[in-house]
Amino acid sequence: MNPRTSRLLTRCFLTALAYVATTWLAVWLLRHALSDAAPLLRALVALLPVIPIALVIRTLVRMVLAGDELQQRIDLQAIAIAAVAVSLGTLTLSWLLTAAVVTFPARQAMVWVFPFLWIVYGFARAWAARRYR
Amino acid sequence: MNSRMRELRESRGWSQGELATRLGVSRQTINAIETGKYDPSLPLAFGMAAEFTLPIEAIFFPEATR
Repeated sequence: MNPRTSRLLTRCFLTALAYVATTWLAVWLLRHALSDAAPLLRALVALLPVIPIALVIRTLVRMVLAGDELQQRIDLQAIAIAAVAVSLGTLTLSWLLTAAVVTFPARQAMVWVFPFLWIVYGFARAWAARRYR
Repeated sequence: MNSRMRELRESRGWSQGELATRLGVSRQTINAIETGKYDPSLPLAFGMAAEFTLPIEAIFFPEATR
Protein backbone atom coordinates (compact mmCIF):
# COMPACT_ATOMS: atom_id res chain seq x y z
CA MET A 1 0.00 0.00 0.00
CA ASN A 2 1.50 3.33 -0.98
CA PRO A 3 1.98 6.03 1.70
CA ARG A 4 -0.75 8.27 0.27
CA THR A 5 -3.36 5.52 0.44
CA SER A 6 -2.20 4.66 3.94
CA ARG A 7 -2.65 8.28 5.05
CA LEU A 8 -6.11 8.42 3.49
CA LEU A 9 -7.13 5.20 5.23
CA THR A 10 -5.88 6.52 8.59
CA ARG A 11 -7.82 9.74 8.05
CA CYS A 12 -10.89 7.71 7.14
CA PHE A 13 -10.58 5.60 10.30
CA LEU A 14 -10.17 8.63 12.56
CA THR A 15 -13.13 10.33 10.93
CA ALA A 16 -15.22 7.21 11.45
CA LEU A 17 -14.31 7.38 15.14
CA ALA A 18 -15.40 11.02 15.13
CA TYR A 19 -18.70 9.90 13.60
CA VAL A 20 -19.27 7.44 16.45
CA ALA A 21 -18.38 10.10 19.02
CA THR A 22 -20.65 12.76 17.53
CA THR A 23 -23.48 10.27 17.16
CA TRP A 24 -23.18 9.29 20.82
CA LEU A 25 -23.00 12.96 21.82
CA ALA A 26 -26.02 13.88 19.70
CA VAL A 27 -28.13 11.03 21.09
CA TRP A 28 -27.14 11.87 24.67
CA LEU A 29 -27.90 15.58 24.22
CA LEU A 30 -31.25 14.89 22.58
CA ARG A 31 -32.31 12.49 25.32
CA HIS A 32 -30.99 14.27 28.39
CA ALA A 33 -30.28 17.93 27.76
CA LEU A 34 -32.42 19.00 24.83
CA SER A 35 -35.59 16.99 25.26
CA ASP A 36 -37.60 20.21 25.60
CA ALA A 37 -35.51 22.36 23.27
CA ALA A 38 -36.73 24.10 20.15
CA PRO A 39 -37.13 21.87 17.07
CA LEU A 40 -34.47 23.79 15.13
CA LEU A 41 -31.86 23.22 17.84
CA ARG A 42 -32.81 19.55 18.10
CA ALA A 43 -32.50 19.20 14.33
CA LEU A 44 -29.05 20.81 14.32
CA VAL A 45 -27.82 18.53 17.09
CA ALA A 46 -29.37 15.47 15.41
CA LEU A 47 -27.46 16.31 12.22
CA LEU A 48 -24.06 16.68 13.94
CA PRO A 49 -22.91 13.20 12.76
CA VAL A 50 -23.38 14.33 9.16
CA ILE A 51 -20.17 16.38 9.41
CA PRO A 52 -17.76 13.46 10.01
CA ILE A 53 -19.73 11.30 7.57
CA ALA A 54 -19.27 13.95 4.89
CA LEU A 55 -15.51 13.93 5.62
CA VAL A 56 -15.44 10.12 5.37
CA ILE A 57 -17.20 10.25 2.02
CA ARG A 58 -14.79 12.92 0.80
CA THR A 59 -11.82 10.77 1.87
CA LEU A 60 -13.27 7.66 0.19
CA VAL A 61 -13.86 9.55 -3.04
CA ARG A 62 -10.26 10.81 -2.97
CA MET A 63 -9.06 7.23 -2.40
CA VAL A 64 -11.04 5.96 -5.39
CA LEU A 65 -9.77 8.77 -7.61
CA ALA A 66 -6.20 8.13 -6.43
CA GLY A 67 -6.37 4.52 -7.58
CA ASP A 68 -5.01 3.39 -10.92
CA GLU A 69 -7.21 2.15 -13.78
CA LEU A 70 -7.57 -1.41 -12.51
CA GLN A 71 -8.33 -0.28 -8.95
CA GLN A 72 -10.99 2.12 -10.25
CA ARG A 73 -12.52 -0.69 -12.31
CA ILE A 74 -12.64 -2.89 -9.19
CA ASP A 75 -14.20 -0.03 -7.20
CA LEU A 76 -16.81 0.50 -9.92
CA GLN A 77 -17.78 -3.17 -9.92
CA ALA A 78 -17.92 -3.24 -6.11
CA ILE A 79 -20.09 -0.13 -5.76
CA ALA A 80 -22.43 -1.40 -8.50
CA ILE A 81 -22.88 -4.72 -6.69
CA ALA A 82 -23.40 -2.93 -3.37
CA ALA A 83 -25.96 -0.54 -4.86
CA VAL A 84 -27.95 -3.41 -6.41
CA ALA A 85 -27.79 -5.53 -3.24
CA VAL A 86 -28.83 -2.70 -0.91
CA SER A 87 -31.55 -1.52 -3.28
CA LEU A 88 -32.98 -5.03 -3.52
CA GLY A 89 -32.68 -5.47 0.24
CA THR A 90 -34.51 -2.25 1.07
CA LEU A 91 -37.22 -2.94 -1.50
CA THR A 92 -37.71 -6.44 -0.14
CA LEU A 93 -37.91 -5.14 3.42
CA SER A 94 -40.43 -2.48 2.42
CA TRP A 95 -42.67 -5.07 0.74
CA LEU A 96 -42.46 -7.34 3.76
CA LEU A 97 -43.30 -4.40 6.03
CA THR A 98 -46.26 -3.47 3.83
CA ALA A 99 -47.53 -7.05 3.97
CA ALA A 100 -47.05 -7.00 7.77
CA VAL A 101 -44.94 -10.16 7.48
CA VAL A 102 -42.23 -8.50 9.55
CA THR A 103 -42.36 -5.65 11.99
CA PHE A 104 -39.34 -3.38 12.03
CA PRO A 105 -39.15 0.27 13.07
CA ALA A 106 -38.64 2.24 9.86
CA ARG A 107 -36.44 4.70 11.73
CA GLN A 108 -33.97 1.93 12.63
CA ALA A 109 -34.12 0.50 9.11
CA MET A 110 -33.07 3.82 7.60
CA VAL A 111 -30.09 4.10 9.93
CA TRP A 112 -28.76 0.74 8.70
CA VAL A 113 -28.89 1.50 4.95
CA PHE A 114 -25.65 3.49 4.91
CA PRO A 115 -23.49 1.04 6.90
CA PHE A 116 -25.02 -1.92 5.04
CA LEU A 117 -24.05 -0.31 1.74
CA TRP A 118 -20.41 -0.02 2.80
CA ILE A 119 -20.31 -3.51 4.34
CA VAL A 120 -21.53 -5.03 1.06
CA TYR A 121 -19.09 -2.78 -0.83
CA GLY A 122 -16.23 -4.20 1.26
CA PHE A 123 -17.13 -7.81 0.47
CA ALA A 124 -17.84 -7.01 -3.18
CA ARG A 125 -14.49 -5.24 -3.55
CA ALA A 126 -12.64 -8.25 -2.13
CA TRP A 127 -14.49 -10.53 -4.56
CA ALA A 128 -13.85 -8.23 -7.53
CA ALA A 129 -10.14 -7.89 -6.69
CA ARG A 130 -9.73 -11.69 -6.56
CA ARG A 131 -10.93 -11.95 -10.18
CA TYR A 132 -7.80 -10.11 -11.31
CA ARG A 133 -5.25 -12.16 -9.38
CA MET B 1 -4.91 -10.37 -24.64
CA ASN B 2 -1.54 -11.99 -24.06
CA SER B 3 1.73 -10.21 -23.50
CA ARG B 4 5.45 -10.70 -23.14
CA MET B 5 5.48 -8.41 -20.17
CA ARG B 6 6.79 -10.89 -17.63
CA GLU B 7 9.57 -11.99 -19.95
CA LEU B 8 10.55 -8.41 -20.78
CA ARG B 9 10.38 -7.30 -17.14
CA GLU B 10 12.53 -10.18 -15.89
CA SER B 11 15.08 -9.66 -18.66
CA ARG B 12 15.62 -6.15 -17.30
CA GLY B 13 15.81 -7.38 -13.70
CA TRP B 14 12.77 -5.41 -12.57
CA SER B 15 10.35 -6.61 -9.95
CA GLN B 16 6.62 -6.15 -10.46
CA GLY B 17 6.70 -3.42 -7.84
CA GLU B 18 9.52 -1.61 -9.57
CA LEU B 19 7.78 -1.71 -12.95
CA ALA B 20 4.57 -0.55 -11.27
CA THR B 21 6.39 2.44 -9.80
CA ARG B 22 7.93 3.30 -13.17
CA LEU B 23 4.49 3.25 -14.79
CA GLY B 24 2.63 4.93 -11.93
CA VAL B 25 0.27 2.01 -11.33
CA SER B 26 -0.14 -0.59 -8.59
CA ARG B 27 1.70 -3.90 -8.44
CA GLN B 28 -1.71 -5.56 -8.64
CA THR B 29 -2.22 -4.02 -12.08
CA ILE B 30 1.12 -5.30 -13.34
CA ASN B 31 0.36 -8.79 -12.06
CA ALA B 32 -3.12 -8.77 -13.63
CA ILE B 33 -1.68 -7.72 -17.02
CA GLU B 34 1.06 -10.37 -16.88
CA THR B 35 -1.45 -13.12 -16.07
CA GLY B 36 -3.78 -11.96 -18.82
CA LYS B 37 -6.56 -11.11 -16.37
CA TYR B 38 -6.61 -7.43 -17.36
CA ASP B 39 -6.00 -5.53 -20.60
CA PRO B 40 -4.32 -2.14 -20.07
CA SER B 41 -5.72 1.11 -21.38
CA LEU B 42 -4.09 2.67 -24.42
CA PRO B 43 -2.14 5.29 -22.41
CA LEU B 44 -0.82 2.59 -20.09
CA ALA B 45 0.10 0.35 -23.03
CA PHE B 46 2.02 3.22 -24.63
CA GLY B 47 3.71 3.85 -21.29
CA MET B 48 4.81 0.22 -21.18
CA ALA B 49 6.08 0.41 -24.73
CA ALA B 50 8.14 3.46 -23.78
CA GLU B 51 9.60 1.73 -20.72
CA PHE B 52 10.59 -1.33 -22.73
CA THR B 53 11.58 0.76 -25.79
CA LEU B 54 9.54 -1.56 -27.97
CA PRO B 55 6.44 -1.04 -30.12
CA ILE B 56 3.14 -2.08 -28.54
CA GLU B 57 2.76 -4.91 -31.06
CA ALA B 58 6.01 -6.42 -29.78
CA ILE B 59 4.59 -6.58 -26.25
CA PHE B 60 0.89 -7.38 -26.65
CA PHE B 61 -0.87 -9.74 -29.03
CA PRO B 62 -4.32 -11.32 -29.29
CA GLU B 63 -4.77 -14.76 -27.75
CA ALA B 64 -5.35 -16.48 -31.08
CA THR B 65 -1.89 -15.68 -32.41
CA ARG B 66 0.04 -16.93 -29.34
